[in-house]
Amino acid sequence: MPQVPDGHAVNVPSNSKLVSLAEAVRRFARDGMQYASGAGLPVGADAVAFGRELLRQGRRDLHAVFHCNTQQLNLLAAAGAVARAEGAFSGLEGFGFANGLKRRIESGALPFEDYSNLAMTLRYLGGALNWPFVPATVNIGSDIQWRSAFDPEHCPAPDKIPTVTDPFSGRKVGALSPLKPDLAAIHVTLADAEGNAIMLGTEWSRFELSRAARRLVLLADHIVAPDCARQFPNLVRIPGIIVDAVVWWPYSAWPQASPGVHEVDEAHMRLMNEWLGSDEGTQRYLQQFVYAYDSLDGYLDLIGRDNLARLAAGPTAFLMEPFRRWVLPAEAIEPMVARP
Amino acid sequence: MSAAPQRYTRQEMMAVAAGREIRDGELAIFGVGLSLLAGFFAKAHHAPGVRAITEGGIYGAVPIGGLPWGIECNRLSANACSFTGALDALGCLVGSGRCDVGLIGAAQVDRHGNVNTTGIWGAPLGARYVPPKVRLTGSGGANDIASCAKRTVIMLAHEKKRFAERVDYISSPGFLDGGDARERLGLTGGGPCAIVTTLGILRPEPGTREFVLDGWYEFSSPEEIAENTGWALRVAPGARVVAPPDAAELEALRAVDRTGMLRKN
Repeated sequence: MPQVPDGHAVNVPSNSKLVSLAEAVRRFARDGMQYASGAGLPVGADAVAFGRELLRQGRRDLHAVFHCNTQQLNLLAAAGAVARAEGAFSGLEGFGFANGLKRRIESGALPFEDYSNLAMTLRYLGGALNWPFVPATVNIGSDIQWRSAFDPEHCPAPDKIPTVTDPFSGRKVGALSPLKPDLAAIHVTLADAEGNAIMLGTEWSRFELSRAARRLVLLADHIVAPDCARQFPNLVRIPGIIVDAVVWWPYSAWPQASPGVHEVDEAHMRLMNEWLGSDEGTQRYLQQFVYAYDSLDGYLDLIGRDNLARLAAGPTAFLMEPFRRWVLPAEAIEPMVARP
Repeated sequence: MSAAPQRYTRQEMMAVAAGREIRDGELAIFGVGLSLLAGFFAKAHHAPGVRAITEGGIYGAVPIGGLPWGIECNRLSANACSFTGALDALGCLVGSGRCDVGLIGAAQVDRHGNVNTTGIWGAPLGARYVPPKVRLTGSGGANDIASCAKRTVIMLAHEKKRFAERVDYISSPGFLDGGDARERLGLTGGGPCAIVTTLGILRPEPGTREFVLDGWYEFSSPEEIAENTGWALRVAPGARVVAPPDAAELEALRAVDRTGMLRKN
């Protein structure tokens, strides 16, 4: 029977949702789907490794919904796998513009529909609650309301953020359209095999997205024993009952940061963005950092074992302290992973 | 362009001037980069009781180890007292109207304080939407802050190409066409109270809500500012030179700007 580090035995749950990354993509990803990710802002915890696997399996024509751009969208766009995208922010914050996404937008190949950060959250919330629309006092009066990259012929765009009347006060507000992505891949810090998940760091809009998506795959840095959720039920903001699959993929946010687990890899953030700035560079990136591994170990070797240790020794590592006793070692996780 | 004094840089003057707009005890939201430095300068110097939030929902944190790479960076996550998210930060605290002041950046600003961070088209967008010649970052949370905060301070480098008669695209609303256009459209926040730049400070004229020159720095002049502004900039009655940063201000600012981001020009 698998054991956690302090010697407690772990019961393998009969309803384990653990699958391999490759299997999660095979099972839930389709060409042309509305795909949501980018759950932790441009340099934070995003399920970047899921995007790499989408490319490894040749998925394309994606309708990408990224609250904020991340290196995942930057990569998917640069590789030509995104037909259109919507979101609130297309940059990489301190790392500058996202070169892959930027050049696709500028060439006209990738229409990018702009909203604001609150608007994206409210649209996820609207989808989560099955509301017909969400009234908003943001985005109104700006070109975010009037202009649509998805409906370029009309200004003001009639179906983007139409003006409606508040039935109580009579004032005019904007109507935001709800989002219900076909699939969301969300990065979490900890999950148990049933999908009860804890996120360290800002939740951003992962709570709302997890409820809005029709299918939900979690990428977890650590798999924990079931008792962890029972100890910290208030912190389990994504419960297993809404999760379709759990993937154990440490450093899935790399080169971005995962609070409590690892730092941003500054050198790779720059290299990746520089290479994604051209088609030749993107091909080089795909060959060296997307197609070049055939297992989790291979992926971690690619990042570099010394580099991993350096990235893990950051100022937020203490955030993991309360949870370490439930973290399962690889040999306890592997027997729980469903075989296709 | 006139030279900044040896003692401090133009960027530092801008950050200090923007930080002076923040008052002790206020609920304040800062964006990433320069506005974060200006905000934490205010907290370190004259507004220790400022309640600082980021739109990422990280509260109570003071950046460590240099300027954060982003608003969710581990440099902010290392000493936060609360992690929430976008709905709380931008919705409950900003969209609700509770937030007193927001600091936002801009790529381009116009005479009514409208901000463009979405793209450069180089010519007015016609009825048909076309992709921008240069794609910028989009609004992020700045539209939400500009729409709903009680007041907003806009920070940007003062260059003619950035100070347009009319921005190419309104990402974050200022006073739109001026006058009471904000109120008529139902925007709940008070709009921009200042545009703080590397050359001076512009404020909205009562009534028209057109931005006029309110102050210049010891190293700049009304003439230089007018030359670098894309509309016929008027000078407010009572406009005058802004006090340079004093020793205590510079010390506080440099303690926050440990990596010297503001001293690179």
